[in-house]
Amino acid sequence: MTREWTRGVMTGAGPSMAEYRAALHRWLDAHHDELAPRYAPPGTLDEQMAQMQRVKSILFDAGWMRYGWPEPVGGLGGSPMLRTELGATLAARDLTDPGLFSLIEVLAPTVIDYAPPALAAEVVPRLLSGAEMWCQGFSEPGTGSDLASLACRAVPDGAAETATTWIINGQKVWTSLAQYADRCVLLTRTGTAESRHRGITAFFVDMNTPGISVAPLEMINGVHEFAEVFFDDVAVPAGRMLGELHGGWAVAMSILPYERSSCFWQRIAYLYRRLQILVEAAPADDRAAEIVGDAFVQLHALRARSRQTQHRLAGGATLGAETSIDKVLVATAEQATYDAVRRLVPGCIETGDDLAAEMWRSEYLYSRAATIYGGTVEVQRNIIARRLLDLGGDE
Amino acid sequence: MIDPVERALLAETVAAAIAAAAEQPAAAVDGALAELGWLEMLAAEPADAIAIVFDALGSTNAQATALDDVIVHALGLQPHPGLAVVFPPFAAWDPPGSVGNGRVQARGLASARATTASELVVVAATDREPCAVVVPAASARITTVRGVDPAAELRAVDVDTGIDTDGPAARIPVPWDGAVALSQRAVAHQIAGATRAMLDLARLHARERVQFGRPVARFQAVRHRLADALVAIEALDATLAAAADAPEPETAALAKAVAGRTARTVAAHCQQVLAGIGFTTDHPFHRYLGRTMLLDGLFGAADALVLATGRRLLAERSVPTLIEL
Repeated sequence: MTREWTRGVMTGAGPSMAEYRAALHRWLDAHHDELAPRYAPPGTLDEQMAQMQRVKSILFDAGWMRYGWPEPVGGLGGSPMLRTELGATLAARDLTDPGLFSLIEVLAPTVIDYAPPALAAEVVPRLLSGAEMWCQGFSEPGTGSDLASLACRAVPDGAAETATTWIINGQKVWTSLAQYADRCVLLTRTGTAESRHRGITAFFVDMNTPGISVAPLEMINGVHEFAEVFFDDVAVPAGRMLGELHGGWAVAMSILPYERSSCFWQRIAYLYRRLQILVEAAPADDRAAEIVGDAFVQLHALRARSRQTQHRLAGGATLGAETSIDKVLVATAEQATYDAVRRLVPGCIETGDDLAAEMWRSEYLYSRAATIYGGTVEVQRNIIARRLLDLGGDE
Repeated sequence: MIDPVERALLAETVAAAIAAAAEQPAAAVDGALAELGWLEMLAAEPADAIAIVFDALGSTNAQATALDDVIVHALGLQPHPGLAVVFPPFAAWDPPGSVGNGRVQARGLASARATTASELVVVAATDREPCAVVVPAASARITTVRGVDPAAELRAVDVDTGIDTDGPAARIPVPWDGAVALSQRAVAHQIAGATRAMLDLARLHARERVQFGRPVARFQAVRHRLADALVAIEALDATLAAAADAPEPETAALAKAVAGRTARTVAAHCQQVLAGIGFTTDHPFHRYLGRTMLLDGLFGAADALVLATGRRLLAERSVPTLIEL
């Protein structure tokens, strides 16, 4: 791979970013056959997972999977925008599903920032190169939007400060890809039941540890993307603690900047690709023009907003409550995009039985969750009202 | 680009000067802008000058005739207070004029400047690029538009006058698309300022108005309306930043489309939250409502722009990304 442009792109802005993008596109064009899915899209989840890991492996060997990641964990350094651009490009080319691919962004940064350095150096390259899959054990049956109420318990074998092992009991749910995962970034209750965000501790748990069982859940589109995960006296070494004892809330919150920037940018690229497919198939009348135009205007505003967020993050800003605006915009635009499909290709989602219809149906149904996962839009509006509009508490 | 600190200071100065003249006729606001060196700013740093001045016009609900200068500047002519422009009719953005048979004809809108200016710029569509024709203001029929917002001092203009169509000065080829784009950005900034002001009014009211023993700001239904208003405004700001970073006709048109929609969303939520008081002329909300209804129609109403955008996507069977990281 040519390296002249890499020095310039390390700041991740300006013309050098355009050079990185151009080089990436040239490389992907040249390796198209090697990277293309081996199945007719949309494929099963098993096929999509195998495709993603294969693509990651090829891209890791070629170096692309390593840009934007720190050198101590196998990266080549540079702005995180480089990896964002890669994920977006893969989504725009339908090489990987961004929902699966961008999980890296909610897992790897946490481990890099909070795991013992030797552990991060060992495991992060395995995630990036497709040798492993990880999952995120946050939500519980009683813990949806209110994450601080989680109950999955971790108890030390002896005094908490000197414990060598922690015993975990409890249940997680909505854990994406748990059945494929080798590891789990897990939030546990280590304080009193009432300690809320002050009594949570994060662990990095091997999924093959005795006592862990996984029961995939079927979503409304028929895909088993997420699962219930049960922990029954699961012993985890103290060296697998992420961050401080009772410091799990900070670990959980550290994910927000990446989830709300990089993941969204990849999702946006994917939505543009979906609108492109729709525009190729839609009738060329004014009703269609209004519907397509409406979805496009929403996507453009979202893209403009997300772009600002990426640049703020790359410029060293701490992202916070204002990313709730990005979240509302992405959820709304995603549903608008699939609503446009439903309106412009009547019967396709409802009665179509070919592969294209299967894709639209699956994705349309999945898009209904866009206003729910990652914090419902109602929770986002509460955050906006309290933190950005200074409307005070709502009790 | 002006550096951020300097820009913030300038924005503060401009906003204060415009606010001081905001309740007065457009001529007074124009005077304040002239004192601030508006035309020099426009010539030196057009993007920043437009953003700062039109945001301030929007947030103070002041009306000036600075849009005439923006268009004249973008057409490559020399702006001055004696030169007014015929805007396209409400909701449209095509050149408002036509030339032929030794005459120039145009129908459109104009600012208050049309009444005091000595000359009017008419941009006419031709079979090649659009041309500007400068006609004596006295040759036009200019009437006052009262409409939903008389304080905006909008004019309706009807031009039908003879010209020497073969004369070298009569027909000047002009970059109309560029002028439309810059005008759309200016008006969208004005709408952005106005929607922020509407939200501020509604926030203040929600925190102070007590019903059922507590401020109405405590009610989630109220909070969510105001949150959605902020989401819309922030999205508009982002599209304006995108239009500045990637200054193309497409990004400007999209910013204007988003502005028109944002105005509708924000006005609806804020008016509902302001409830009874927002329905009276005692409260300033109504001025912003009327102003944004007018501004939506200048250089492309949201609905018309969305339709045109959709038609283009379908004609080209292509969805452009327009802005990159």
